[in-house]
Amino acid sequence: MIENRPVTTVIAHCVLIVGIAVLALPIWITFVAATHDAVRITQVPLPLLPGNQFFQNLAAAWGQGIEGAGGQPVGNMLLNSLAMALMIAVGKIVISLPSAFAIVYFKFPFRMGFFWMIFITLMLPVEVRIVPTFQVVADLHMLNNYWGLSVPLIASATATLMFRQTFLTIPDELLEAARIDGAGPMRFFWDILIPMSRTNIAALFVILFIYGWNQYLWPLLITTDRSMYTVVMGIKQMLEAAEQAPEWNLIMMTTLLAMLPPILVIITMQKMFVKGLTETEK
Amino acid sequence: MAQMQILNVVKTYGKTTVVHGISIDIQDGEFIVIVGPSGCGKSTLLRMVAGLEDITAGEVHIGERLVNQCEPKDRNIAMVFQNYALYPHMSVRGNMAYGLKLRKLPKEEITRRVDKAATLLQIEGLLDRKPRQLSGGQRQRVAMGRAIVREPDVFLFDEPLSNLDAKLRVQMRLEIRRLQQRLQVTSLYVTHDQVEAMTMADRLVVINEGRAEQIGTPMEIYRNPDTLFVAGFIGSPAMNFLPVTVHGQQLRISDNTVLQLTAASTHQGPAILGIRPEHFTVPTNHWSELEIIIDIVEPLGAESLLHGHIEDLEIVIKLPAAIAARATDRFTVTVDPQHFYLFDPNSGQRIRQ
Ligand SMILES: Nc1ncnc2c1ncn2[C@@H]1O[C@H](COP(=O)(O)OP(=O)(O)OP(=O)(O)O)[C@@H](O)[C@H]1O
Ligand SMILES: [Mg+2]
Repeated sequence: MIENRPVTTVIAHCVLIVGIAVLALPIWITFVAATHDAVRITQVPLPLLPGNQFFQNLAAAWGQGIEGAGGQPVGNMLLNSLAMALMIAVGKIVISLPSAFAIVYFKFPFRMGFFWMIFITLMLPVEVRIVPTFQVVADLHMLNNYWGLSVPLIASATATLMFRQTFLTIPDELLEAARIDGAGPMRFFWDILIPMSRTNIAALFVILFIYGWNQYLWPLLITTDRSMYTVVMGIKQMLEAAEQAPEWNLIMMTTLLAMLPPILVIITMQKMFVKGLTETEK
Repeated sequence: MAQMQILNVVKTYGKTTVVHGISIDIQDGEFIVIVGPSGCGKSTLLRMVAGLEDITAGEVHIGERLVNQCEPKDRNIAMVFQNYALYPHMSVRGNMAYGLKLRKLPKEEITRRVDKAATLLQIEGLLDRKPRQLSGGQRQRVAMGRAIVREPDVFLFDEPLSNLDAKLRVQMRLEIRRLQQRLQVTSLYVTHDQVEAMTMADRLVVINEGRAEQIGTPMEIYRNPDTLFVAGFIGSPAMNFLPVTVHGQQLRISDNTVLQLTAASTHQGPAILGIRPEHFTVPTNHWSELEIIIDIVEPLGAESLLHGHIEDLEIVIKLPAAIAARATDRFTVTVDPQHFYLFDPNSGQRIRQ
């Protein structure tokens, strides 16, 4: 529906502006807080305009971190988060592509049984199975390393189900044409299914990267070694571990830094992301 | 190029049999059209030849080889699908070359074959486009090209023109035929459009409910249909069918309308009389007349279709426009008795005199 009456245009703009303001204000305050020194930030009223300490704060947060948090430099925490998010996103995609392929294109005993088993894991996110999962990870000596951070989060069914839906929309004739062309199952998978699911893979990558990046509870549980802290849990630690007043300017700087990678991922993959979620024509 | 035999082929899905033992003997270079109503098993038969569907019973020979157990790629066939089935992420060139690449043909040979097919189909300018940037007719050509570059023994077509508009369909069917005559590749062509079937086929296979009702050249089948089904399916507009009672030399449609045969029929009693719309003529002295009540006149240009009825039986008549212009509410026509087709009302088989 396209309407061009001026009144509706004005109303639409007002609603959008209010919405954007509501979303953007906290980010603005975070940014402002990250540009002042530690003293100014604890005084009321809170500043609403940026100060001149941005680069000093950046250097402090990036380089040495906050003493209260064990002096973990933010750079290191970002690296941990990045490793975890990438491993989760890539791992999930790599595992779920072949499993969706198997479920859609192969006839094997108990096919539907396997499908439902995968489906049911949707009801068991990490938070629900956290104790047994911790036990398993501990037994496998995966505490305090990247495997422990990512493997338990890789095991879930969302991606498999999404690829299954994608594959089901690909017409059977394409498989048949490929068979006549002489493509075996794996050729068909590589040459046709994967390129045709490209946008879906990109969309899923974005979603999974952010999902991985935002993990809080699981890293908190299995990392005791400070050098393995991820940035999302690190921010929380900064608040609690300090005996003195929290250094809000540095915490806010860390928050800003923590927001950057997901934003970068979204910006660079935006076009494919939207296509992958909306494209129906195959 | 190869001859081909389809011997008593049967297809069963679970408990339902959809193809009941069809046999066709195909000469090298022949263009065979398989025609029948929707759901009669045409595609199933073609897919069994292609190897996309298991053959429940019977044999398929391509050339000298029994191919029942061969993978599709080992049968040396090429197939053109109704929805083209082009790989959407590959360029036109990529689509045509893909099968050859998998056969590990040398690069220059692939390029040579693709370029040659592209020239033949006049799609040289489109080689770098993606399928979605092509019109329906162009996609169809690319699909043809993909089949041609393979240089197969047999072309299989499954309703390749049914997604095109009427005009393009007429043009493409000529083109496919011309191409096939030039390449001399044995072809199996599935369609449910009887005009396509008539115009393209060397020989027609008319299928009804999984059985081959009749196999023959289009004119044989048109002139001499074996069954009620074939008579009604081939020919446009369709043959008129009138229930009659045969008494000696007479065909009694009702008390007032009686037609004369040239000689006494071997079959007596109830029968179905078939008359093609184009076999009606204006009365002459020789033949018995029929009075038709005209409902609608459809002028087609040179000819007109008259839709009318006798008692409550609907009748379609095709006449030259000049004669049709004389038609009033009631119109008397006649038919040469040699154009009467009589069928057994129970078995649907033709009653030959
Ligand atoms: N996988 C299947 N399982 C069960 N029945 C099937 C299967 N595939 C096809 N059939 C049945 O077999 C019959 C023949 O199908 P087929 O596709 O060969 O028809 P067709 O003659 O090609 O029709 P159309 O002109 O509509 O394409 C149909 O009645 C269909 O329902
Ligand atoms: Mg079909």
